[in-house]
Amino acid sequence: MSRMHASQVNSRNAASVPSTAHLMRWVIMATLPGIATMSYFFGLGVVSNVVLAGIFGLGLEAAVLRLRKRPIRVTLNDSSALLTGVLLGCSLPPASPWWLIGVGMIAAITVAKQLYGGLGHNPFNPAMVGYALLLVSFPTYMTLWAPPQEFIPSHLWAQIAGILPTAQLDGLSGATPLDAFKHKGEAVLASEFWATDPLPNDTLRAWRWVALAWLAGGVLLLVKRIISWHIPAALLGSLGVLATLFYLSDPSHFASPLFHLLTGATLFGAFFIATDPVSAATSRRGKLIYGAGIGALIMIIRTAGGYPDAVAFAVLLMNLCVPLLDMYSVPRPTGQQRTSPVKPGEQP
Amino acid sequence: MSSAFDFPGGIYPPERKQRSNQAALVSAPLPMRVTLPLQQNSGQASTPCVAVGEQVYVGSIIARREGMISSNLHASISGVIAAVSASHIIIEGDGQDTWQRLPSLDWPHSAPAELLERLNESGIVGLGGAGFPTSVKARVVEQHVIHTLVINAAECEPYITADDLTLRHHPTEVLEGAQILAKLCGAQQILIGIEDNKPEAIKALNKALPNSQPVPVALKVVATRYPSGGERQLIKRLLNLNVPSGGLPADVGVLCHNPGTLLAALQAVRDGQPLVSRVVTLTGEALTQPGNRWVRLGTSVKELLTQAGLDQTSVAQVIQGGPMMGTPLLTLDTPVTKLTNCLIAATIAELPPAPAESPCIRCGECESVCPVALLPQQLHWYARAKDDAKMERYHLFDCIECGACSYVCPSHIPLVEDYREAKGRIRLQRIESVKAEHAKHRFEFRQARLAREEAEKQARREARQAQNRRPHSHASTENSEKVDLRGLRIAHAAAKASVKKAEKTLARVAQEDPKQPLDDLEMQLATAQENLRAAELQLAQAREQQPSKESS
Repeated sequence: MSRMHASQVNSRNAASVPSTAHLMRWVIMATLPGIATMSYFFGLGVVSNVVLAGIFGLGLEAAVLRLRKRPIRVTLNDSSALLTGVLLGCSLPPASPWWLIGVGMIAAITVAKQLYGGLGHNPFNPAMVGYALLLVSFPTYMTLWAPPQEFIPSHLWAQIAGILPTAQLDGLSGATPLDAFKHKGEAVLASEFWATDPLPNDTLRAWRWVALAWLAGGVLLLVKRIISWHIPAALLGSLGVLATLFYLSDPSHFASPLFHLLTGATLFGAFFIATDPVSAATSRRGKLIYGAGIGALIMIIRTAGGYPDAVAFAVLLMNLCVPLLDMYSVPRPTGQQRTSPVKPGEQP
Repeated sequence: MSSAFDFPGGIYPPERKQRSNQAALVSAPLPMRVTLPLQQNSGQASTPCVAVGEQVYVGSIIARREGMISSNLHASISGVIAAVSASHIIIEGDGQDTWQRLPSLDWPHSAPAELLERLNESGIVGLGGAGFPTSVKARVVEQHVIHTLVINAAECEPYITADDLTLRHHPTEVLEGAQILAKLCGAQQILIGIEDNKPEAIKALNKALPNSQPVPVALKVVATRYPSGGERQLIKRLLNLNVPSGGLPADVGVLCHNPGTLLAALQAVRDGQPLVSRVVTLTGEALTQPGNRWVRLGTSVKELLTQAGLDQTSVAQVIQGGPMMGTPLLTLDTPVTKLTNCLIAATIAELPPAPAESPCIRCGECESVCPVALLPQQLHWYARAKDDAKMERYHLFDCIECGACSYVCPSHIPLVEDYREAKGRIRLQRIESVKAEHAKHRFEFRQARLAREEAEKQARREARQAQNRRPHSHASTENSEKVDLRGLRIAHAAAKASVKKAEKTLARVAQEDPKQPLDDLEMQLATAQENLRAAELQLAQAREQQPSKESS
C-alpha cells in the first residue's frame, strides 16, 4: 500500500507552493519590466527578439519532442522552452535578424536542452549556450547594439528580415558602455575617458534604467520566493567586492564597482540567468559558491578577457563546476558526525 | 514563544484542525463486535491464548506477547470469542460491558519492577503511531542514563487533534502518567513540547502543572511548524540535542512519550485497566459530526465513520493517520487498532489526487525544507538510477519520511515513496548478505572441524606407529619426509591470534549491543578454536617426530 502523496493536502493552496509551470511563468512575468524598459530605450526590436525567440523555442521543442516520441502538449505547457526563448531574446541586440535568433534557439533548445534529455537534464544553461554560440560565430551581428533610438526605427523590418545590407548595418551600431570602456585603450585614464563623453545619446543612462528594471524583476522573484537569494547575492557580492578592490587599487584604470553592477548583463544575469535551477548548484552552500564564482569570472573576463561582457561565459564555466560543487557541498545531516562519510570522488 | 534551538527546514501546511477540535471528547457507542488484529505493535505479533466460544470480559488477555519486542492484547468488549485466526481475533459482544481489571497499584510506593510488569501486562504501546511497547522502552535505563522525559504533544500533522483533546480533558492524568514513566527511567525533569496552535491544551496544562509531583515539569511552547513532532526534531528544539544517526533519543539521555500513551499507562497502573480503547480523531469534510472519540480497539472503521455522519456520496478516500505520513485505507472494513490516531474521510476537493509528475528541475526546494538537512533531490536521482550505494552515502537512512520534500516539490515527484522503496530494497539486500555471510561461516566451521578431526586421527595413528617402532631405532623417523616445523609453528601462532581476535570481537559486540544476535560471531570463534586445536595437534606431532631439531 503506497502512502498518499504529501502534496495532496496542499493542492488546494497551489498558489503557496507553485508547480514547475508556475515557476517558469513567474520568471517570464518578471522579465516584463526589463523588456518594457529596454523597448522604451532601444525600440521595438527588443520585443521582436523576444517574440521570435519564444516562437522558435516552442516550435523547436515541439519538433524535438515529436522526434523523441514524448508528449508534446504537456511538456510545452511547462513553459520552460518559452522562458529560454524570452531569456535569449532579451540577451540579443535589438532587432536581430530572424535567422540569427533561429540558430541561437536551435543551439539552446535542440542541442543544449533536448539532446541532453530535456527539462531537468541539461548541464548547461540553454539560453547561454545559444548566446555563446552566436557570439563566437556571428560577432558582427552580436555587437550591433544600436544606441537609444526611436521606438520603431525605419529599417526595423528589413533588419529583422535579415535583408539590410551589411554596410548599412555598420552605420547602425554603437558601442555599449562596457564595450567603449574596454576599448578606451591603455593610455587613456578613466577620468579622461569619461570627460570625452564617449557614448552617444545618454547610452549610459539607458543601460542603468534597464539594469534597474531587471533588478525590479529580480526582487519580484525573490519576494514571490520563485528564486532563493543565494545565487544573486553571492554573484553581485563577489563582483562588487572584486570590482571595489580593483577600483581602489587603481581608480584611473579600472571602472567603478557601480559601473560593473549597473551596466551590461550583470543584474539580468544575476537574477534571471544564474538562477536557472537546472544548471545551477543545488545545496545552499553550493549555490553561494556557484554565484560567487560567476561574479568573479565576470570580473576577470571583463578586465582581462577578450570580451566586453562575460555573463554567458561565466555562467557556462560555472555550470561546468556544478557536479563538483554538488559533491563538495553536501550538508551534514542532523545527527551525523561532523566528518561526513560521503567522500567526494570515492567510488562505491 | 519559540525556543532558540531549531531544526533545519520544515513547512507550514494548512492545519485544518478546526474541524475536529471544536467538539468535546466523547466515547463512541459500544461496538457489538470487534476484530482485533494480532499485530498492533512494532516488533512481533502476539499469540492467541483463547479458544473459540470462550467467554471474555473487557480487559481479559486474549493474546500474549511473543519475543523481545511485542505486547499483550486484551478483549475490548465483553462477550464470546467468535473466531481466532493467524492474523486476528473476533469477539461477539454481549452488550454487558463487564470489566475484568487488575488490582490498582499505588505507584509512588510500588517497586519499579512491579510497575514495568504492569505496563507489560496491560499491553501499553506508544499511541503516537509507532506502537513501540512502552515497557520495553522504559527498560532502556538498563543501558542508558536518562535525564529528561519529553511529552511529545506537538501533534504537527494537519487534521489530527487527538493529543490536543486528550490534554484538554485529562491534563492532570497525563502528567501523572509522565511521573510514573519518569520514575521508571530516573529522569530528573519532564518537558512538555507543544505547538502554539493548541492554546486550550496549553491553558489546561498550565493549570495542572503546579500540582505535578515529584519530578519538576516544564512546558515549552514551540512555534507551529511541520514536522516539529518528529522525535529528533522536537528533542533538537526543546533541548538542542542531536540524536545521533542510527541512534535513539536514549543515546542523548531523553525518552519521548505521547500524551495518549501516558494516559494509558496511568490507567493501567492506577485503575488496573489494560489498553482496550484509545482516542481517535474523526475528521474530513465528508463527516457531518467530526471530533474526537474514545474508541474501543477493534471497532470497525466503517461503523465509526457512519456514526460520525459519513457522507457516502462525497467521500473520495479515507486516510488513516495524517495527510502527510498517513496511509489511504483500501477498505473501510478494517478495525481501529492501537496505532489508529486519526481517520480522515476526505472529499475530492479537500485532498485531490496528486498532479502528474514532471521532471526534476533541481530547484532545491526540497533541500531547504528537509528537517534532517538531507539532499532529497540527489537522493531522487540515485533512487531513479537504483544506485543504492550512493543513496546510503547520501544518508538515505537518516530520512524520517516526513514528506516535506514531496509537499514542496514543484514537479510533484513522490520523493518519499521512492525513498521508502529504496530503503526496503536495501534492507532486503542486507538480510540476504547477512544470510550469505552466515552460510560462509557455517561452512568454514565445518571445514575446521573436519580438519581438527583429521589431525586427531593422524595423531593417534602416529602414536600407534611410534609404539610399534620403539623396539627398532629412530632411523625410520629421520628418513621420513622433512617436517616443516617452522611453518607449523607460524600456523599455530596465527590460529592462536585469530582465536583471541574472535573472542575480543564477541566481547565488544556483546557489550555494545546486548540485543544483537551473537550466534554468528560465536560460530566464528568456534571455527578459530577448531583451527587452533588442529594446529596444536600437528605441531605436537611434529615435535614428537623431531625432538632433536626442535631443541636446536
